[in-house]
Amino acid sequence: MAEYENTGGKSEAPNASRRVFFKQSSALAALAMTPPAAMTAVANGLDEKVAAAFEQMPLHVEINGTMRTLAIEPRVTLLDLLREQLHLTGTKKGCDHGQCGACTVHVDGQRVNSCLTLAMTTEGSQVTTIEGLTPGGPDGPLHPMQEAFIKHDGFQCGYCTPGQIMSAVACIREGHADSPEEVREYMSGNICRCGAYANIVDAIMDVKKGGARV
Amino acid sequence: MNQFQYTRVTTPKAAVSAISTGNGSYFLAGGTNLIDLMKREVVVPERLIDINKLPLATIEKTATGLRIGAMAKNSAVAESELVKKYVPLLTMALNAGASAQLRNMATVGGNMMQRTRCAYFYDTAMPCNKRSPVQAGADKGQTNGPVGCGAIGGINRMHAIFGASTKCIAVHPSDMCIALAALDATVNVSGPKGDRTIPFGDFHRLPGDTPQKDNTLLPGELIMSVDIPTNKFADHSHYLKVRDRASYAFALVSVGVAVDMKRDTIQDIRLAMGGVAHKPWRLIEAEQFLRGKSATEANFKQAAMLAMNGAKGYGENDFKLTLAPNSIIDALKTATKTA
Amino acid sequence: MTKDTKNPPIDRVDGRLKVTGGANYFADFELPNMAYCVLVGSEVGRGTITSLDTKKAQGAPGVLGVFTHQNMPPIPGWDAPVGGEADGPAPKPKREETYRILSSPKILFDGQPIAIVVADSFERATYAASLVKATYNKQAARTELEKHLSEGVAPKGADGGNYLRGKADAYQSAPVRLEANYTIPIEVHNPMELHGILAHWTASDKLMIYAKTQGVNATQQAMAQAFKLDPKNIHVHTEFMGGGFGMGLRTWPQETAVVAVARKIGRPLKLVVTRSQMFTLVGHRPYTVQTINMGADTNGKLVGLAHAATAETASYEDFTEATVNMTKFMYDCPNVSTRYRIVRLDRSVPIWMRGPGEATGAFALESAMDEMAHKLNLDPIEFRLRNYTETDPEHNRPYSSKNLKEAYQRGADAIGWSNRKNEPGSQREGDWLIGYGMSTGVFSAFRWEASARALLKADSSLTIQSAVTDIGPGTGTALTIIAHNVLGVPLNQIKVEYGDTSLPKAPTQGGSAIVSAVGSAVFDACTAVKKQLTELAIKEGGSLAGRQADELIIADGVLSVEKEPRKKVALSELMRANNLTVIDKSADSKGGSEQSKYSMYSFSVHFVQVRVNPLTGVVRVSKAVSVADSGRIVSPKTAASQMIGGVAGGIGMALTEEASIDHRFGRFVNNNLGDYHVAVHADVPAIETIMIDKPDPIINPMGAKGMGEIALIGFAGAVANAVFNATGQRVRDLPITPDKLLRKLT
Repeated sequence: MAEYENTGGKSEAPNASRRVFFKQSSALAALAMTPPAAMTAVANGLDEKVAAAFEQMPLHVEINGTMRTLAIEPRVTLLDLLREQLHLTGTKKGCDHGQCGACTVHVDGQRVNSCLTLAMTTEGSQVTTIEGLTPGGPDGPLHPMQEAFIKHDGFQCGYCTPGQIMSAVACIREGHADSPEEVREYMSGNICRCGAYANIVDAIMDVKKGGARV
Repeated sequence: MNQFQYTRVTTPKAAVSAISTGNGSYFLAGGTNLIDLMKREVVVPERLIDINKLPLATIEKTATGLRIGAMAKNSAVAESELVKKYVPLLTMALNAGASAQLRNMATVGGNMMQRTRCAYFYDTAMPCNKRSPVQAGADKGQTNGPVGCGAIGGINRMHAIFGASTKCIAVHPSDMCIALAALDATVNVSGPKGDRTIPFGDFHRLPGDTPQKDNTLLPGELIMSVDIPTNKFADHSHYLKVRDRASYAFALVSVGVAVDMKRDTIQDIRLAMGGVAHKPWRLIEAEQFLRGKSATEANFKQAAMLAMNGAKGYGENDFKLTLAPNSIIDALKTATKTA
Repeated sequence: MTKDTKNPPIDRVDGRLKVTGGANYFADFELPNMAYCVLVGSEVGRGTITSLDTKKAQGAPGVLGVFTHQNMPPIPGWDAPVGGEADGPAPKPKREETYRILSSPKILFDGQPIAIVVADSFERATYAASLVKATYNKQAARTELEKHLSEGVAPKGADGGNYLRGKADAYQSAPVRLEANYTIPIEVHNPMELHGILAHWTASDKLMIYAKTQGVNATQQAMAQAFKLDPKNIHVHTEFMGGGFGMGLRTWPQETAVVAVARKIGRPLKLVVTRSQMFTLVGHRPYTVQTINMGADTNGKLVGLAHAATAETASYEDFTEATVNMTKFMYDCPNVSTRYRIVRLDRSVPIWMRGPGEATGAFALESAMDEMAHKLNLDPIEFRLRNYTETDPEHNRPYSSKNLKEAYQRGADAIGWSNRKNEPGSQREGDWLIGYGMSTGVFSAFRWEASARALLKADSSLTIQSAVTDIGPGTGTALTIIAHNVLGVPLNQIKVEYGDTSLPKAPTQGGSAIVSAVGSAVFDACTAVKKQLTELAIKEGGSLAGRQADELIIADGVLSVEKEPRKKVALSELMRANNLTVIDKSADSKGGSEQSKYSMYSFSVHFVQVRVNPLTGVVRVSKAVSVADSGRIVSPKTAASQMIGGVAGGIGMALTEEASIDHRFGRFVNNNLGDYHVAVHADVPAIETIMIDKPDPIINPMGAKGMGEIALIGFAGAVANAVFNATGQRVRDLPITPDKLLRKLT
């Protein structure tokens, strides 16, 4: 079993001991050479491995209840880590700039835009994605918010839906679902181009009034 | 996005020391603006110093007011019972900004450090003096794209009507900072040369000939906290934000009002505007005029007129010459309504 | 189905997949050894690339290739003369230019791809793309329609862009006259899902594609043409599409380019464009300027009507839409003329966007109707009723069905129209002005050719198959209900398979036509299954031998004699008795001669209440009622969602959406979701939807007409009319932003 879970299946799996050089304990001292310098080396025709040595860093993060030990480039966003490396594709990319909410996940219980979150900043955190909302898996019992979205038809194309649901759950947990007006304001970070807003608000108010634990 | 060095620090001292080791280093807090700018290649850092683990997120009552740690999340500040009780204007302003998700990520310090949302600044194919300053020796990684000001003579609907220069007519996008400017906050910073305190009104600056500089922080300085002095405005505060959609949009114009009322009389007042200048725009003349006056529409109109001294439109934003005073009147009416 | 029974409001059949993140959109598929593409866009709007530096990009970590006009692998089908198919390279307008992606240093529009960078990770491809540097011989980009209106050309087509009934200038002699200009800005579809493609050559002549397309068969054809392959060798899958609104109605050049590069690289490739690229690479609603001339007599009867529209298109392709069509048949008016022109600019080509040209045209016509009603001092509904027509004056034939009067009435009751004051600016609530407005929408009810297959198994479960995609309207749900109604199989035992070229051919999802087209095919396929079941039951020795087919009904998996319910046989039993494991019926379905005997349209009426702040110019839609007259409602729940979606889109169109170009650079300044304002939750109130729900006796066996377009068409006009009612100010150029209103209010 590979030391780093996300590098196993890749065509050019890195030698972890060489490429994951950047141990936190030796953080600053290890920087004899900066990445731009490495880039210059590449431009000058030096081996790609020189640059590669600077690429990846270790990350320990709990995702949907499972502790993961990963090796990633520091520029990788949480969104791209989830989708492209961990194949948790329920979280969607809609704008990649924090302007639509399709990528909403919970980090330590707080809803955030995973597209603007560098994955490295989640070291030691707990991340919950739409896949983690239903502990019983996709065929198990649904979360009350998921049930409500189905009941109220709170979606059409379904693409913004995971983000809407993660945001909606947080909206109630935060205590911002006391009226339709409040829900509309606190859900405004989740754009739905199909325009299912009215039904989404109904779904959230239904869950809130039902008093189910979210 | 370019590759960069990533360093995680856990103490302010280590942060200041880390950032001082070279050019092209940036503190990474919530990342809501910096990561966005990096994705667009507007900012190309060599190194990010991740300060998210710094223990600077406390919100506390002090002898002179409130102290809010620089790393406190915007949502935590907005929800803080202390803030709601003593400086509700700050809660209102924070909640008017961005989205619930972004407020969960963005920090107080980061909010102050956010760059303008001017489209020309964001597009490296367009001219911008803020992004690509003409001056020699400009910060590495910032000479990016054509120089000039695209907004002057361009699409400047969102742009400044106060304090702009021939180099830059961008506005500061923060809502939070409008409240902090109105409330006479001070900013505590720590740097390689020690600690100092900056009055909020002096923190951000006008563009002048150096629009690349948004604020008066010195190289390597880290925002530690913000102090808000005790006030009597809690019962009569209002933040009005006029924008193109009902939420999740930057201000065309915003007005922060904090009033100390005694019956119908304005004992004391603070007024600041957003969306109109390169920094939070305090309306000192209007404040002076209103002090001791009764809360009437006629007085509000007079104050709004005074507030507009020196305002200048650039074409598409000429409507702000009407919208700004109207918004001041509207916000004053709401704030002075007896609870 | 022949009985007038309303359909059950069932939950969306793909709901569970969508709420769990289990629905796979194209970019969610994982292919072995997949690499990533990033497009580099031109930074000028017109000119020629003079130098292109790709060396740094090629040397960057993980880069597998950089492709430009200098080394782009061939697209064999595009080397042939350009045929003018929308799915091929752009057909060439007369005397103008051709756009073939990465084939020439010539730049025809801002954002035009100048390179495709391929790398082994998304981050590396993105970074390497930033290292591609180009210099240009730059020319002034002609991007401003209003400066080039005189260059309008008539589109190809039967009427050459002109229509005339009666006298063209009759409006001039009418006692009450109106002339007004209306402008629609560039709007961008901006579905939440980003455009792109996954291309996988599974053999040298076999291709697997995961696409963001509204029609898998169309993508298959386009790729077959481009790569000179047998369509059978091309497998296209789009079960889920994260919204289209029209941008997926064609195969875009960059999709074909990625397929070509994938063949060259020898690895599966994934392209997901940026949100900014969504503004330039996948079409938009064109900037359109319209003029309405209207004349009426003092009794409020229309005398003459003239509607002219001029819209932008690309220099390299003529895009046209039905902007002025509604004017030809909506009202009873003896003298009607329309004129439609396009101007070729240095812009990427538009494509139909929800409600397409009809929504643009309806804003002008329905605003003008409101303006004229005001001049006549008539209630806007009354004015429309005085010019109501029960037959189509354009084609001089009956409508297949039209219940618009009922729609006006029910909508008016629901919004509280009686609270409206005809005198503008006369209602206040606190500091806010209150106004009411309404508007009509109309869109053709098509019935295109489609195929479907029904497989009834011995366990009495039913599978329905059709290649059609479901971009969000609830196609799968509607088809389930249609099958259930015909065959009586319980809803939870019906599975619909769609969005894949291995399934029976279907038209592209669009034009509000899918329930009518594919639904009819499903109806026919299920009817064939039912026919076989019936025959088996009544044949000699069958369980219901001696009965006539029309005596039987089918429900809950049981075939029975309607009047003697105890005479029955379970479908599963019937199949077992005949040693059948499956009954498998396919149907090709299309309309017949009725298509030319009737005019077929769906109608809508939108009502809104707005609140306007006279100090700030802020407009809020505080109430909305949308009424659909679109025949029998097949799937009430998803149909209502379509309508509320139209309201949200309509609020955006009316109040917030505009893609702005700095014409000095020919470049967008708000090509992102932060600055291009799609309506958010806070912009959209609770919405009441009303379905007339009366079957159209002509169009198809379900009596159902489409509603995707009418949900939006007319809504913006209703808002503009309400703003006028609230303030006495008429804004004729969308969107109605605070600055525009404030200029008029002060």
